[in-house]
Amino acid sequence: MTRRISIDPITRLEGHGKIEIFLDDDGAVEDCHFQIPELRGFERFVEGRPIEELPRIVTRICGVCPASHHMASAKAVDGCFGNECPELAHKLRDMYYNAHYIHSHIAHFYALAAPDFVCGPDSDPAMRNILGVVDKVGLEIGGAVIKARAMAQEIQMILGGRFTHLVWCLPGGVAKGCSMEELAKIRPMVTQLYDFAQFSLQLFRDVVLGNEGYVDLIVNGPYTLDVHNMGLVDENNAVNFYDGKVRVVDFEGKEIVKYAPHEYMNVVAEHVEPWSYLKFPYLKQRGWNGFVEGIDSSLYCATPLSRLNVADRMATPKAQEAHDEMFKTLGGKPVKAQLAQHWARLVEMVQNAETLQKYCDDPEITGDNYRVVPEQITGEGVGIVEAMRGTLTHHYTCDENGMCTSANLIVGTTNNNAPIHMMTKRVASTLIKPGVEPDQGILNMVEMAFRAFDPCYSCATHSLPGEMPLEVQIIKGGKPYREFRRNC
Amino acid sequence: MKTLLLGMGNPIVTDDAVGILLAREVGAALGPRPDLDVIDECCIGGLNLLDLVAGYDRLVVLDSIKTRDGVPGTWYRFDATDLRETMNLRNVHDANFATAMALGRSVGMRLPDDAEIHILAVEIDDNINFGEQLSPPLAAAYDELRDEILAEVRVVLDGQTEGRAAPAGGRHAAAAGGGEAKVATTPAAAVSDEPATARSASWR
Repeated sequence: MTRRISIDPITRLEGHGKIEIFLDDDGAVEDCHFQIPELRGFERFVEGRPIEELPRIVTRICGVCPASHHMASAKAVDGCFGNECPELAHKLRDMYYNAHYIHSHIAHFYALAAPDFVCGPDSDPAMRNILGVVDKVGLEIGGAVIKARAMAQEIQMILGGRFTHLVWCLPGGVAKGCSMEELAKIRPMVTQLYDFAQFSLQLFRDVVLGNEGYVDLIVNGPYTLDVHNMGLVDENNAVNFYDGKVRVVDFEGKEIVKYAPHEYMNVVAEHVEPWSYLKFPYLKQRGWNGFVEGIDSSLYCATPLSRLNVADRMATPKAQEAHDEMFKTLGGKPVKAQLAQHWARLVEMVQNAETLQKYCDDPEITGDNYRVVPEQITGEGVGIVEAMRGTLTHHYTCDENGMCTSANLIVGTTNNNAPIHMMTKRVASTLIKPGVEPDQGILNMVEMAFRAFDPCYSCATHSLPGEMPLEVQIIKGGKPYREFRRNC
Repeated sequence: MKTLLLGMGNPIVTDDAVGILLAREVGAALGPRPDLDVIDECCIGGLNLLDLVAGYDRLVVLDSIKTRDGVPGTWYRFDATDLRETMNLRNVHDANFATAMALGRSVGMRLPDDAEIHILAVEIDDNINFGEQLSPPLAAAYDELRDEILAEVRVVLDGQTEGRAAPAGGRHAAAAGGGEAKVATTPAAAVSDEPATARSASWR
């Protein structure tokens, strides 16, 4: 008879997700499902609307990464209008987006990742949060986190007028440029953000790398996965978040394919499982081979670690140094230890800050050629950016009047649906064994498996769930056997 | 005492918009007041909310909720203490609301006391489908709901009890799990510094 353990909803994750762990009679893990509800009807909602409205609508899809949707949507709309976007507009969008990345990565590291390491995976759940981190490493850290996030947000406000519900990107460019006065406000904040990125990296070295047990957990623990990797790269195969081609590298580090956004349907297909609302993307040319790893796998990760795995290099020098240190420590590319996602985010944050510095020093950034009004409707566009949580694809078509006729989205986390499922099952199988009753520490270590992916299923809804933030239910013989709850 | 009225939700996911709609109508009914700012569309939570709430003495949140077997249009009142025992403002991508507030206070930010955080949560039916209209059951209850929420906000702001819905028998229900109706307790001590930026109308 199967026992079922439900973790519902998952703590410290956006959206309402549930993990169900099925145990056999002996208490060994039989299977593990990661389930989330999916919002419905987006395509129908946007059909018939002016295509240029979509970048403003899609920011409502997700309150966590609105700029990612805005940017991908803007690029798709650019495609529908013949891609007449000036270089300065791309620079400004990229500048905004790098600030957005810093804002997001700080939150993930300090509020989600750090508690597991600074406080410990089996620490009191009530203190396994950012307050626990501050309690351990000092009050000034809390103030620095809030200040750094505020600066990253302020840069977005200055450039785009908003940091959420953005209306800045228009077909053919952006609605406003960056004045000399605005740049003068941004510049000192960028300097501080660079320092904060390096500080965060050092904190990771001190707290995580300085603890042999944590390094062993990252490298030798159950948190490894042998699937392929996906990420955006520029013309030099360096990491890029806003533009470029999507590169897919296999589990041994060899390039499988590098494709332009409009070619995505030749590369990615989606599989459906009856127990999940969310689809499972896979590499189309390899076919769906199930939840398998290695040479036979058609699955891929699209994560911060994947971005670093697929790229030949970082785009900026200090990020390159951080990148080299990471891969030297972890044994070279591709790194398969998924807990290294947290380290990869910090490496990315250095590049984000250096990229902002580059734009601050770019004499063209305060120019006024930031938009051309498109004069043609070409009817189709695909926009791809790297959302913080993975490759994000928007594909639109419109009629000769510019009215939307179709929209297809593959969001960042969806790419990782199969890897999250596999990773969670592996960790659960390793830790929950016959005779071992799952306790809070074990369940948190299961959660760490998918928390590494920073999955985000928010997709807009903000309704209070009205229930406890975590329910663990064990069902034996079809009847409740044990139940307990805990808070975030 | 400076109050922020916050409408939480998503305007394009059917009933998830109810907090936004209520904030707009309640804000309009209350009219301009020097002690009140209204942000009628907010979709952020956790650490991001700190930036919005900082500088205010009191926070009133209008949001949606979905409980097991809940009746659309029913509404509940929580304060920060209740929420700590149940959930937060749902953006748990970073920190939950209570944790974010505690963090802000620990580093010296001026934030409303727990007793001055009032969350009015409306039971909804559909937050899965994209759409700009409320679901039929919530739409049917909306006018009465709006009047009750307005009365409740007036109680919070001014202590006026006229027109306030009865706790039992009306839509004002005690939430399962301890979210029982509560009236604001002793106001927090007044402080002189104003919010960094006065805000009104839509969230930027």
